[in-house]
Amino acid sequence: MNCEVKVKDRIGTINPIFTCQPAGAQYASIGIKDCIGIVHGGQGCVMFVRLLISQHLKESFEIASSSVHEDGAVFGALDRVETAVDVLLSRYPHVKVVPIISTCSTEVIGDDIDGLITKLEEGLLAEKFADREVHLLPIHTPSFVGSMVSGYDVAVRDFVKKFAKKGEPNGKINLITGWVNPGDVKELKHLLAEMGIDATVLFEIESFDSPLMPDGKAVSHGSTTVEDLQATGSAIHTFALNRYEGAKAAQFLEKKFKVPSTIGPTPIGIRNTDALLKKLSAVTGKPIPESLVRERGIALDAIADVAHMFLADKKVAIYGNPDLVIGLAEFCLDLEMRPKLLLLGDDNSGYVDDARIKALQDNVDYPMEIVTNADFWDLEDRLKNKGLELDLILGHSKGRFVSIDYNIPMVRVGFPTYDRAGIFRNPVVGYAGATWLAEQMANALFNDMEVKKNKEWLLNVW
Amino acid sequence: MPYHEFEVSKCIPERKMHAVVKGPGEDLTDALPKGYLNTIPGTISERGCAYCGAKHVIGTPMKDVIHLSHGPVGCTYDTWQTKRYISDNNNFQLKYTFASDVKEKHIVFGAEKLLKQNILEAFDAFPDIKRMTIYQTCATALIGDDIGAIAEEVMTERPEVDIFVCNSPGFGGPSQSGGHHKINIAWLNQKVGTVEPEITSDYVINYVGEYNIQGDQEVMLDYFKRMGIQVLSTFTGNGTYDSLRGMHRAHLNVLECARSAEYICDELRARYGIPRLDIDGFGHKALGDSLRKIGLFFGIEDRAEAIIAEETARWKPELDWYKERLQGKKVCLWPGGSKLWHWAHAIQEEMGVKVVSVYTKFGHQGDMEKGVSRCGEGALAIDDPNELENQEALLTLKPDVIFTGKRPGEVAKKMRVPYLNAHAYHNGPYKGFEGWVRFARDIYNAVYSPMHQLSAIDISKDDYAIDKGFVTRRMLSDATLSEEAKASPITGYTGPFDPISGLRGKTYPVFERRAATEAAE
Repeated sequence: MNCEVKVKDRIGTINPIFTCQPAGAQYASIGIKDCIGIVHGGQGCVMFVRLLISQHLKESFEIASSSVHEDGAVFGALDRVETAVDVLLSRYPHVKVVPIISTCSTEVIGDDIDGLITKLEEGLLAEKFADREVHLLPIHTPSFVGSMVSGYDVAVRDFVKKFAKKGEPNGKINLITGWVNPGDVKELKHLLAEMGIDATVLFEIESFDSPLMPDGKAVSHGSTTVEDLQATGSAIHTFALNRYEGAKAAQFLEKKFKVPSTIGPTPIGIRNTDALLKKLSAVTGKPIPESLVRERGIALDAIADVAHMFLADKKVAIYGNPDLVIGLAEFCLDLEMRPKLLLLGDDNSGYVDDARIKALQDNVDYPMEIVTNADFWDLEDRLKNKGLELDLILGHSKGRFVSIDYNIPMVRVGFPTYDRAGIFRNPVVGYAGATWLAEQMANALFNDMEVKKNKEWLLNVW
Repeated sequence: MPYHEFEVSKCIPERKMHAVVKGPGEDLTDALPKGYLNTIPGTISERGCAYCGAKHVIGTPMKDVIHLSHGPVGCTYDTWQTKRYISDNNNFQLKYTFASDVKEKHIVFGAEKLLKQNILEAFDAFPDIKRMTIYQTCATALIGDDIGAIAEEVMTERPEVDIFVCNSPGFGGPSQSGGHHKINIAWLNQKVGTVEPEITSDYVINYVGEYNIQGDQEVMLDYFKRMGIQVLSTFTGNGTYDSLRGMHRAHLNVLECARSAEYICDELRARYGIPRLDIDGFGHKALGDSLRKIGLFFGIEDRAEAIIAEETARWKPELDWYKERLQGKKVCLWPGGSKLWHWAHAIQEEMGVKVVSVYTKFGHQGDMEKGVSRCGEGALAIDDPNELENQEALLTLKPDVIFTGKRPGEVAKKMRVPYLNAHAYHNGPYKGFEGWVRFARDIYNAVYSPMHQLSAIDISKDDYAIDKGFVTRRMLSDATLSEEAKASPITGYTGPFDPISGLRGKTYPVFERRAATEAAE
């Protein structure tokens, strides 16, 4: 077998690829309208995650902290959450949804946030905020379990679990996007609109690409409402595009409300987008319209210009969120490229059983490695000490110095991509995403040829 | 009554004591906000944690060190690559960060074995690096791992390595400031006095509380070296681990950020009798005075004066060019701690702007004393600001520009207030005579950005002239200036994009040692 799946052979982490679970829950929370989460832990768990997300989106948004200090760590800090909920609701009259997101410290000290929520519902909410619609929910995201990816998965499930209701079948599908960008949501909604499919999208974050308006009043916020979340229980079908970021919610809806679900495909590349549209068509009975056939054609036309002349046989390393990495690897293979190294930054034991990874193992005819629980040293060490040669890196900004120090061009994808302008605005999913990715990769290689004077004359005629 | 009550904070009356407006004729006894108290949960404060104060602010700028955090991976990831503390060794400390990656089983059974293996792995991965700092996090503090014992064990097994341990979990104090204190004292207790430095000058200082943001430290070191001063160590920007072990041999501690690093200076004074001299690298006058004070201490005022004269002649005209164009522009000076008093008076006097508000995320009352006294009448001072108060302040004060952090900067942008990064700078360094002009340049570029002007226009309503294909900053900033001012041959800052690389490898005059001079006589 040419493709090996292995766990990182060191115990520690040198330059982590992922941050921890609460960050994923926080990213999910900002997708919901009138929602401000309270992260129960030290203040850094919020301050830095807000900084990270704001660097990525170049926008601001609100997440609160329970500000656990020493006394709370020693004597228990539930009183901090009580105060936080009261203060937050008093000062933000529009807020309806308040997830209480736990962290390592408050999980270790064993604060019972579930019990506290019951207490607050019967006490504070009933007494002080009786005329307000307020929903509290616990989200358990200890940092020493999983990663930001599982934190996102857990949070989506917990939001759905909190709100989903069985009502009259509404004929809609649920589309759980996974951890994507505003540009991806826009593209997915475009595909649904072209198909004429009515969908509840979790989460509608496209307005995080928000304007600068003359009145100075524009605010970035998620647009998925409580009603949207409630309606997920009455849908005809759930599509969770990413296995590791949203499948838990789909499985919950299937089990509790008998809403059938489809996990995947992550619609990266032409083939995966085709598969998504076919499945959508099968479930809804709506045909794939001529407009999408044409869009697909435009994408293929653009990709044909760069694929077999420039991208073919280029060796690429890909790191980041697992569904993204796998989707990109699949697309790269369709582009005749050679994904040599895939880095998945957490210890999820399910990766080895992923059918997509098994398919890679069965069909790749050159040496390829997939490392789980990986860090950036797994990439750098191979480049520095083990003879790995690469033409291109696909991944997020935290790996920028590998690209810079080893002179390997890099296309920014995933989260976070703070060191390039406007990445969040563009999709990697759908036909538009396929075009964007292929052209970004080609342009990165072109630029590299010029910087290194490596057949830079090639593009004199193209 | 000087306390300022925000409309948005009426339901949390304890906030009232945290903001003041400096009224006419009032002084500190009338107007001083409370500071460094526990944060009110749920206010959406901007404060960080004590771990980041220790590791991210003070520890990590040390450049030749493996910085390992003992805990789950998030603390490490989140505080990695979010600052601009560069170094002259190819930025090792920016590029590499290490996490022991504590998982659930370690929480249950202890993570000391894991930590030891981590330490060895990290040293093995970077065989040229022999120094390490280890930072406790919330999780490993709560499970009670004895990090110090593990570090000792490794140092015994590998005598060539040296390890510093900082126990400053995130929950340790109201803000990052708790971590500043802890790492100051920990470094002093564990490491100072364990290396005997070579003394090469009659004038030996530690440069303390300086983190080399965009090269600030290298700019200041250039002045010190031109004065023939030996900088034994910098705590900690661009500093080396071993040089910081020899801090006890300095003649003087020159202290820049008194918020984050006064503790070690005070203890070095108590334990080793080294005096503390507080300086300001920001602002031509403050910097000149600082160099003079250092010169005076050592009896080499002439060397300081020579530098001040040369640098002022080179950069003051460009600074004045900006001052003329920034007159009366309203500024919200909203940094983390010490910059509120480092900058308040200096930008008003030397750039002509008016500071309408100062705030501090983690400062103490002492910082507010300095800041408030350096502001003019009517300035609003806020301790531990929160999101809604900031928005209310911006709506009320209508500043022309704001100096704050990245994320609050995004809030300001939406409210049509241009922002400069007060922590990491836009196009720094901002210290030094040239750096100060770069700061003025950045303010000018933000305030007179044609895009900023365009964003005020509602094309569906406003009747605005569409007769121009472009507008330059000069067309905006010079509109109301005198003909004489407009005719100035200066056109703003003339330095390079990167003023730091050129300083590296620069040669300096060799001053004869006093002992040698005396012997010859």
